[in-house]
Amino acid sequence: MAVCIAVIAKENYPLYIRSVPTQNELKFHYTVHTSLDVVEEKISAVGKAMADQRELYLGLLYPTEDYKVYGYVTNSKMFRKLHNSFTDVMCNPFYNPGDTIQSKAFDGMVSAMMVQAS
Amino acid sequence: MSVPDYMQCAEDHQTVLVVVQPVGIVPEDQFFRIYKRIASVAQVSIRDSQRNLYIRYRHHYLPENNDWGDFQTHRKVVGLICVTTCGSGKEWPQTSERFHGQKEVFGATLYDSRLLVFGLQGEIAEQQRTDVAFYPSYDDCPDVEKKVEDFVESIFIVLESKRLDRATDKSGDKIPLLCVPFEKKDFVGLDTDSRHYKKRCQGRMRKHVGDLCLQAGMLQDALVHYHMAVELLRSVNDFLWLGAALEGLCSASVIFHYPGGTAGKAAGRNPSAAQGQAADAGKRHRPGAQEVLIDPGALTTNGISADTSSEIGRAKNCLSPEDIIEKYKEAISYYGKYKNAGVIELEACVKAVRVLAIQKRAMEASEFLQNAVYINLGQLSEEEKIQRYSILSELYYLIGFHRKSAFFKRVAAMQCVAPTIPEPGWRACYKLLLETLPGYSLSLDPKDFSKGAHRGWAAVQMRLLHELVYASRRMGNPGLSVRHLSFLLQTMLDFLSDQEKKEVTQSLENYTSKCPGGMEVITLPDGLRLHPVPFTKLPIVRSVKLLDLPVSLRPHKQKGLMENSMSTKSPFIYSPIIMHNRGEERNKKIDFQWVQGDVCEVQLMVYNPMPFELRVENMGLLTSGVEFESLPAALSLPAESGLYPVTLVGVPRTAGNITVNGYHTSVFGVTSDCLLDSLTSVRTSGCLVEVIPSLPRLQLSTSLPRSAHPLQPSKEELSSSVSVQLFNGETQQLTITLENIGSEDLETLEITSKISNTKERLFGEFLIRLDFSGGENLLQDLMTVNGISVTGLPISSPLRQVLKPRAETRPPGSESSKTDYNHVKMLEAVMTFKYSGGAGKVEGYYRDLTLGLHVDVEPSVFFTRVSTLPATSTRQCHLLLDVFNSTEHELTVSAQNNQDLVLHASECQRMAIQVDKFDFDTLPQPDQETVRYTSLKLLEEERLHAQASMINSTLGITWDIISFGEASVEGVLNQLVLDHLQLAPLQWDVMVNGKPCDCDIIADCKVGDAVPLEVKLTNRSKNTVGPFALTVVPFQDYQNGVQNYDLQDAVTFIGSNTFYIDTVNPSEESLCLGALLFLYSGDFYLNIKFQDDSVGKEPGAGQGKELPLSWFGLPSIHIRAQEAPMEAGA
Repeated sequence: MAVCIAVIAKENYPLYIRSVPTQNELKFHYTVHTSLDVVEEKISAVGKAMADQRELYLGLLYPTEDYKVYGYVTNSKMFRKLHNSFTDVMCNPFYNPGDTIQSKAFDGMVSAMMVQAS
Repeated sequence: MSVPDYMQCAEDHQTVLVVVQPVGIVPEDQFFRIYKRIASVAQVSIRDSQRNLYIRYRHHYLPENNDWGDFQTHRKVVGLICVTTCGSGKEWPQTSERFHGQKEVFGATLYDSRLLVFGLQGEIAEQQRTDVAFYPSYDDCPDVEKKVEDFVESIFIVLESKRLDRATDKSGDKIPLLCVPFEKKDFVGLDTDSRHYKKRCQGRMRKHVGDLCLQAGMLQDALVHYHMAVELLRSVNDFLWLGAALEGLCSASVIFHYPGGTAGKAAGRNPSAAQGQAADAGKRHRPGAQEVLIDPGALTTNGISADTSSEIGRAKNCLSPEDIIEKYKEAISYYGKYKNAGVIELEACVKAVRVLAIQKRAMEASEFLQNAVYINLGQLSEEEKIQRYSILSELYYLIGFHRKSAFFKRVAAMQCVAPTIPEPGWRACYKLLLETLPGYSLSLDPKDFSKGAHRGWAAVQMRLLHELVYASRRMGNPGLSVRHLSFLLQTMLDFLSDQEKKEVTQSLENYTSKCPGGMEVITLPDGLRLHPVPFTKLPIVRSVKLLDLPVSLRPHKQKGLMENSMSTKSPFIYSPIIMHNRGEERNKKIDFQWVQGDVCEVQLMVYNPMPFELRVENMGLLTSGVEFESLPAALSLPAESGLYPVTLVGVPRTAGNITVNGYHTSVFGVTSDCLLDSLTSVRTSGCLVEVIPSLPRLQLSTSLPRSAHPLQPSKEELSSSVSVQLFNGETQQLTITLENIGSEDLETLEITSKISNTKERLFGEFLIRLDFSGGENLLQDLMTVNGISVTGLPISSPLRQVLKPRAETRPPGSESSKTDYNHVKMLEAVMTFKYSGGAGKVEGYYRDLTLGLHVDVEPSVFFTRVSTLPATSTRQCHLLLDVFNSTEHELTVSAQNNQDLVLHASECQRMAIQVDKFDFDTLPQPDQETVRYTSLKLLEEERLHAQASMINSTLGITWDIISFGEASVEGVLNQLVLDHLQLAPLQWDVMVNGKPCDCDIIADCKVGDAVPLEVKLTNRSKNTVGPFALTVVPFQDYQNGVQNYDLQDAVTFIGSNTFYIDTVNPSEESLCLGALLFLYSGDFYLNIKFQDDSVGKEPGAGQGKELPLSWFGLPSIHIRAQEAPMEAGA
């Protein structure tokens, strides 16, 4: 299960970020932030011609000592759920693309995906 | 070997290492000057062989690293240059000794050494020694470079000989086993004769020769040797050396593929060397290639293996770029097997990353770096840790991972101030933190944040800013802390929680108490400029609106001049094309003016986004264009207030166009200048306004209290207004005081008035008369003395009621009329004081001061009916007035020469007033001009009005309730009454005994005397009258109704008793003279009758036919005849 889930806008700022060990949230911020380098690299590496058929799964972005950071995945159930939920958020007419996500439904779905904090 | 050289790169493998060190006491700056000059000789072209030798200089090198020189020859110190100061010959032996001592440190590996002696002159300096050079001073050493080149050449000779020596070792000779320091103990007691051991020795030696070839500039040879070494070592599983051989292969290939070097920006360390490299880049690998071409069989002659070289094709000798990385990976994996080779592994990783960076293969590079992070070098000092993190950051930056780079830089920064360090390096920490800013897409210029959505990762940025604040504070630079904290507050406001907002502002206040924040640009020692942070969000300004001056102070342009300015604007009166340009909106000129010297206002709508009360101090306007004195305001905004209007004021001191650029505030001790240009969210209707030269300022006060009562059709704004309640006919004195409170002299003052009550006007029933006498000398007073009170502006509302003749037909006191009278009328008038003066007058501006007058008129006294009765004299008549008191009070009505009449509420009484008849002809005639332009009806009305007012003034009817008032009969007069009140145009004067005789005057005469009788006719009418025949008939009145006309015995006419008067022209007189003789005493009356001779002779006929009867009202004459006194005396 995941310890931290973040949705990042295309301008590389967080739309949503949540982690389970809340006491050291900033560490996760840093982890996610630095793994964006890899995302950027992977996306730019594929090139513009391939943009349409680009594999959404970016795989392992960045392994740290304690955790592994994965990029966007659609072939696992977990990420499909996140994707669907994100799509729902985007479909909300009152949501302004670019704003941080405050949807309760999204929040609930993310919670279900997280490690249950004891 | 524990200290890695993070700056290493693949091409360092082809360099030879020379250590430059000071010996004895050498000033540091002088040493580094010399070191720089020495280091500039980084590449030496060897004269005969077309080969290049590359030199790496170090001024500090650990001898224990030197022990790894066999493993990789570029780690071996082969040259030593010592720099020393020697003042005198006496010190020379000691210096020389030191030099030798230094040589011994690296003794085993040195090929050659040099000593540069500065300061020594004389005998010793004269001696020619190859290893020592003498210079008189640090400034006088022109051939240092030359010496170093010679030195390098000598090193090359040794290197070349070594290479040839090793390469041509006979196979029969025993090849020594090269090994790294930690291996030595492993080989104790090993069987040196085994095939395995021999192969190992061969392999290691091959690798060593490869290294030497590379250093000597024979690239292709080196490649061949490395390939063979790899083969040999792989077969004996000598992994450490296999790794080294592979790395050597990689290095040689890199040098081949990337002649520009892989060091990236590190090359900048030595610009001259970099230039040299670039220039030689083309031919750089050629020497090696040539070598192979010239002597392809040279390798076969070497003794290790005669036939290995031919197995490897020349083309394949060099690795492809992909292979380089593969081989690096392999090499690193082999190094990884040895704990003691951590430094080698780390350096290999760094080198590989640099190569990958050139190849732009960031992902793979990051894997190498990831690996490097986990290489454990045992206990590292704090400084080494910082160095390591910094270099990781640099490498990540190199491959384009800016975030990762920033992360490690931040870690390095934190390491600088780790709690374990006794003296934390806050300065270094701060510097490193600043370098991380781009990685977090954070710019310290607040302008970058003003537009669009927030960029970057707010949570992380906030953290970084906090750290910057803390670091700068610990550095002892509170100014920086304030700046950073202001920046944090300004840019991250949306992301701060309420609690954080409180904390941040509190600490900001703490800092500013020591060092107030300002608007100046802070320049850091390294050249970074910290732009000022204006608090545009504390408070947030939503709109800026320039306000017009209050109505009474608004300047107006003189009409004529206005047209001029209009015409210059555009030749078209109307154009359907309206320029829609939103950008110009701010620069649009506003269509009102401000006046120099007068307080001008700008209204801002602000709100406080903070969860606590916000105190904004010293808030004022920023303007340009004219000199402007801003009067700052302080305000306190409640927590999370809604929009809140704030008015900022200031006084323009000069005339011209003023632009409001923004505002300045002081919040939490930080002063900020917020410019509107950078605030896109601010709505404004224009910021440019014209300031006209100063004008005087009048202040108006009235003796009556001001009223908030607005005039009914409030079409125009009034500066002030007065309201008063009056009875019809009452007079109220109103004193208007004008005070010039401005700084300019008043030069002109115009007073006009107009009645604005249009509704009442429709009926045409009321008139208001405002008498502005005394206005002329008023001006003089104002110019000399400020604030003189001017009295004598009686505003009387005598409200003549012009009830039309129908009033006559209306029964007095009828219901309908009563309601009409009881109706309270409203009168409104506006007085306008137009004044100007000073410089503003020259420009054609003036100001208006308006005073609204509101009068509620209550009905007082009405005349319901008027009639006349003839009086005894023809010059007089009685006027009968039915007076009606429509008030609820008892009132007293009085007229001139008449007793008072007390009227109770709603009472109607008749009063009779004896009046002299009026001569309306004396009234001024309207001049020709007016006659021409007004209708006959109007002229008639005018005439009637004039007559009525004459009657009024004569009557002088006043009433008295609580206050005095006057009443007017104007409305009730009709033609008949007027006719009666008018003096006949024919004026008759009768003189008896030379005395004028009228009704009640008794003329005395004596019996027996002739009494002269004179009848004078004055024609005042406009027509000629006559001829007339007058007959004088005497009679006696017995006072009992009997009149005796039979007096032929008592009275005798001397002459005729009938006079004939000819035609009398207008304004002429005609006189008839006669005489009477009274024969008896008694009272006699004379009745003068006359006939109009023009019509007929019979008396009375035609009388009044042509001329009204009233014209012929002749006085009756009373004569008392008495006995002559002499009779009494007789």
